[in-house]
Amino acid sequence: MTRLSGIRPPRPLIAAAVVSVCLALIPLAYLIVRVVSAGPEKILSSLLRARTWETTVTSLALMLVVVIGCLVIAIPAAALVTRSNLPGRRMWLTVLALPLAIPSYVAAYAWIAEFPAMTGFWAAALILIAVSYPYVLLPVAAALRTADPAIEEVARSLGRSPFAAFRSTTLPQALPAAAAGSLLVALYVLSDFGAVSLFRVDAFTRVIYASYRASFDRTSAAVLASILVLLALILVFAERKFRGKSLQYRTSSGTQRFASLVHLTRRTRILGLVFVTSIVIIAIGVPVVSLVLRLSEGSRRTLDVFELLGATINSAGAAAAGAVIAVALALPIGLLTARFRSAWSTGTESAAFAGHALPGVVIGLSLVFLTINTVPFLYQTLFTLAFAYAVLFLPKSIGATRTSIAAVPPVLEQTARTLGRNPFSAWTQTTLRIAWPGIAAGGLLVLLTAMKELPATLMLRPTGFDTLATELWSRTEIAAYGAGAPYALALIALAAIPAFALSMFISRERRQVGTDQDDRTDSSVLDTVGA
Amino acid sequence: MTSVELAGISAGYGSTPVLVDLNLQVDSGEFVAVLGSSGSGKTTLLRVLAGFLKPTAGSVSFGNMMVSGPGEWVSPEHRHVGIVPQEGALFPHLDVLRNVGFGLDRSAASAQRVDEVLEMVGMAGFAAARPQELSGGQQQRVALARALAPRPEVLLLDEPFSALDAGMRSMLRAEVRELLTRIGTTTVLVTHDQEEALSIADRVAVMRDGSLVQVAAPAMLYQDPADLSVARFIGEAVELRAMWNGSDSVDTSLGPVAVRGGEAGASGPVIAVLRPEQLVVVDPRPVGDAPARGGTGTVRSVSYHGHDSLLQVRLATGEDIAVRVPGESEIAPGASVRVLVTGAANVYPA
Amino acid sequence: MFRITRRAALAAAALLAASTMLTACSSGESGASDEPADGLVVYSGRSEELVGPLFAQFTAETGIPVEARYGDTAELAAQMIEEGDATPAQVYFAQDAGALGAVSADGLLAQLPEETVNQVPANYRSADGTWVGVSGRARVIAYDGEQLNADQVPTSIFDLTDPKWKSQVAIAPTNASFQSFVTALRVTDGDDVAREWLAGLVANDVQKFEKNGLILDAVNSGQVQLGLINHYYWYEKAAEVGADAMRAQISFTAPADPGSLVNVAGVGITTPAAESDNARTFVEWMLSPTAQQYFVDETNEYPVIESIAASDGLPPLSSLRGPDIELAELADLPGTLAMLEDVGLL
Repeated sequence: MTRLSGIRPPRPLIAAAVVSVCLALIPLAYLIVRVVSAGPEKILSSLLRARTWETTVTSLALMLVVVIGCLVIAIPAAALVTRSNLPGRRMWLTVLALPLAIPSYVAAYAWIAEFPAMTGFWAAALILIAVSYPYVLLPVAAALRTADPAIEEVARSLGRSPFAAFRSTTLPQALPAAAAGSLLVALYVLSDFGAVSLFRVDAFTRVIYASYRASFDRTSAAVLASILVLLALILVFAERKFRGKSLQYRTSSGTQRFASLVHLTRRTRILGLVFVTSIVIIAIGVPVVSLVLRLSEGSRRTLDVFELLGATINSAGAAAAGAVIAVALALPIGLLTARFRSAWSTGTESAAFAGHALPGVVIGLSLVFLTINTVPFLYQTLFTLAFAYAVLFLPKSIGATRTSIAAVPPVLEQTARTLGRNPFSAWTQTTLRIAWPGIAAGGLLVLLTAMKELPATLMLRPTGFDTLATELWSRTEIAAYGAGAPYALALIALAAIPAFALSMFISRERRQVGTDQDDRTDSSVLDTVGA
Repeated sequence: MTSVELAGISAGYGSTPVLVDLNLQVDSGEFVAVLGSSGSGKTTLLRVLAGFLKPTAGSVSFGNMMVSGPGEWVSPEHRHVGIVPQEGALFPHLDVLRNVGFGLDRSAASAQRVDEVLEMVGMAGFAAARPQELSGGQQQRVALARALAPRPEVLLLDEPFSALDAGMRSMLRAEVRELLTRIGTTTVLVTHDQEEALSIADRVAVMRDGSLVQVAAPAMLYQDPADLSVARFIGEAVELRAMWNGSDSVDTSLGPVAVRGGEAGASGPVIAVLRPEQLVVVDPRPVGDAPARGGTGTVRSVSYHGHDSLLQVRLATGEDIAVRVPGESEIAPGASVRVLVTGAANVYPA
Repeated sequence: MFRITRRAALAAAALLAASTMLTACSSGESGASDEPADGLVVYSGRSEELVGPLFAQFTAETGIPVEARYGDTAELAAQMIEEGDATPAQVYFAQDAGALGAVSADGLLAQLPEETVNQVPANYRSADGTWVGVSGRARVIAYDGEQLNADQVPTSIFDLTDPKWKSQVAIAPTNASFQSFVTALRVTDGDDVAREWLAGLVANDVQKFEKNGLILDAVNSGQVQLGLINHYYWYEKAAEVGADAMRAQISFTAPADPGSLVNVAGVGITTPAAESDNARTFVEWMLSPTAQQYFVDETNEYPVIESIAASDGLPPLSSLRGPDIELAELADLPGTLAMLEDVGLL
């Protein structure tokens, strides 16, 4: 990663980044407004409740279990599909990425429908692991593919067994990617309400919701949400520390090779297949089969195909618009942090992540607060909804943008300058042109998450604008699971498209790879998911 | 083609100065190599020339036009400089044709120019290849073609050969030199490889800690280094401790040696610097009754280089020196030798 | 390598572009309904599935188009409070009285015309005339018909703390109708009794759920034997899967028992729409025989107008606890919340 240290970023870039950052900070600003208006007495009483801390501990424990579970599942699975001769491994990688398309509340509903006795901490942990392990799997798979095989070969020559060599050399190279993915998972678990409420885990988000639902109390809810922000900041900081400590092992500057595949014995091949098959059954099979069963269960309402189609189009459109805005907002921030690192730019990124642990209802209210007080004519328009998605999921896009831009050597841009390009066209024709698949991958991640979003959608959508998520909600609200099933299935199918595209970035065919900078470009594309 | 002048340039990153009051004049069509170890500021100098970094003081002129100076700034895209970065830095998303044509408009003349420069660098027929498919040397050729295509006023080479293997390096180096002489481009090369600098440049500028310590033709630099560290940096130095009284010869452990130059005003304890090829090894026994010249010592090791061999000799005084002898010499380690000096030495304060 | 990257990325870009355009089109279509002639904006905490047809009927009869914004009752309340006077909502249609009270307490609900609210018994509307109940629902005990016979089901909520129901009772402590019921219990039997009963539930390992619907699902699957819910959830579920397929059944507690409190869903007009004729027409119409009959037939709720009879399967409203207590008196929600928190249910 080359930085143009000491060179002042151009003013328009700073201006654009400042605007993006301010927008990313909206949820935090809202929390501050609410917390300040709460007054010290209320803050104290919210913080001093035993239940606040009991549920915090529960949430942290759940987070820990889910993160460990994701690592335990995702790392071997990633190794199997990238570094072994597992039959159909490219297909497996794609299929293993698909749970990204399943919202936690849908997975939880589906499992409860089949196994009503499922409840509590471990049930929630299982479902959260099942829907979030791809956040670790994809970046780790990418890192394993691009890890320098020379180091592993040296370890082999020093007497390590293939497995020991892999564990002691290649695996450490994938750890930063695993850490980045774990951060997303951890923040996701902290902010999740769907799975924990359905499995009746006394998690922290339930206390926040109880504040709204039981007492319509915005201020103490905000105080409680601030705890989540604090936890998120600690996690972001820890991940950054870890990333800083771990070394990048690329040593050779010559042509990159890809490590040879580990040849599985008959027994290990069967074990491997059983392993990935079980993951797929738990994460995709059960929810989808359960929903299909609900379909056939019937309902007093007949399915309106046009309504379903309209909701599908709305979901895709709003989420796509959100992804486009997110990419646009992330570009200046990502560019600034990749090329001109400073305390300021790192702080910005952390702040954007901090909001990521907030439950959707808090983010939704913060945008209600902002739009109604600044641009009331935009309130509850498609623009605001798309914009909300962008703000909600901006960190995903910033990370992707930063890593893919950082991977493009600035010398390309400079060379373009000497060949007569002004700064902007030099940038678009080299850096942006090379980095954009990675940037687009970040956009895909926003797209896919935005499709599944519910609480902010309910608050900010234009009146009468129904998405798959809202239609599903309105049916499950009244226990019409049969009527909801087509919407849940359509939502999964729709979100599967960007999930599939994301996995394609990693599993696509690689030909002979040449120059050093090109390798870096490539790996960055793959890193983006976890970044 | 144009001349290049850097006058009083200071530049740096943030509060860290890298270049300090640097002056350099490159004549039109001249090839100057800036030689320095890593961290000496040579890449910064290149960035100042290309316009990637604004100096904090001083001016840069191309011919009569000031491109950087008080109140003057010409951005990189308007400087008409060509640059060949380390490892080529070809645009990985473009094929060779588009890489080379990047600095040209889309006219027919441009297409012709692309063919012409590809021909020039010996890469005709590779227009459709992608950078990944080329070897390191081929990538460098294309990078050179890309830089030359828009007919730059000044060509900047940033360690362009360092990533290549030895054979490819010297071959490409010679070819590039020949090509640039033919088209007469004013060229600045930065490198840390003294052999490269000496072999390719009209003049070599030795850089240290952000300043130029000596700018001279390669032979001059080799024969008359400005100070001891330059002497050590350029080629192999034989250092002999001695006392000098300012006269035209100095007494060393190899006998009296004529003083050619060195750092003015050095008298008292000095180090006399010779080059290995100025030493001759002879049989240690005295010939006839002529007084014994030179000094005696023992050969500690011999490294064979084909055309010659390098002997490490420990003198009777305990000093270690390197001596170059013809390749067919049969001197073995342990042999006693007498070392004679031909020519003159440079003296520097000890 | 790059070609494939490029293809995948191009496909992604095309998808983005296409969907953006589609959205533009679809929002263009709905743009027509953005500016209806004097449309009425309703924030509805009741689901579209339940009340959408009712709104359509209203539009058909009065010619006033309804722009309904569906959401969770409590979250809509939070949203309205956040919106303040700038709220686009003209009418708030809430699942329960508590949410209406909270929005009203923030000064966001306007006074309703007296002749409108007076049609409804005083115990089903707010004392200050800012909201009025439009349909009633009774608290019932849902039970697992496979494990229990009807006569085994407790007839009083006080039996639920009996050790024989250990881990077999489900409640939704964050749900407004449960909280209203606790408040009622406090009003009728005193704080000590209420607290003791709640503590007894906790000691009996009461199962906590997020909503009534989830309790019913749990009972229907045999996960718990008993659950405290609103009666109409059962009818909704039965309508969805067929009454014969229902494993869960419901039972009303004995007439004098606080377990069969009647709560209401209600409407209020927001302050910015205080003078809106359309909003007033809407509230008035919700109390019309057409609308009241709709609640009876479609949602199996109790009508709040005397001229309309409840459906046959339901015990008469007069036999339930409702008449003794005015819902508007159930204002001490903070006290109830503090008590729930105290015993560890919140």
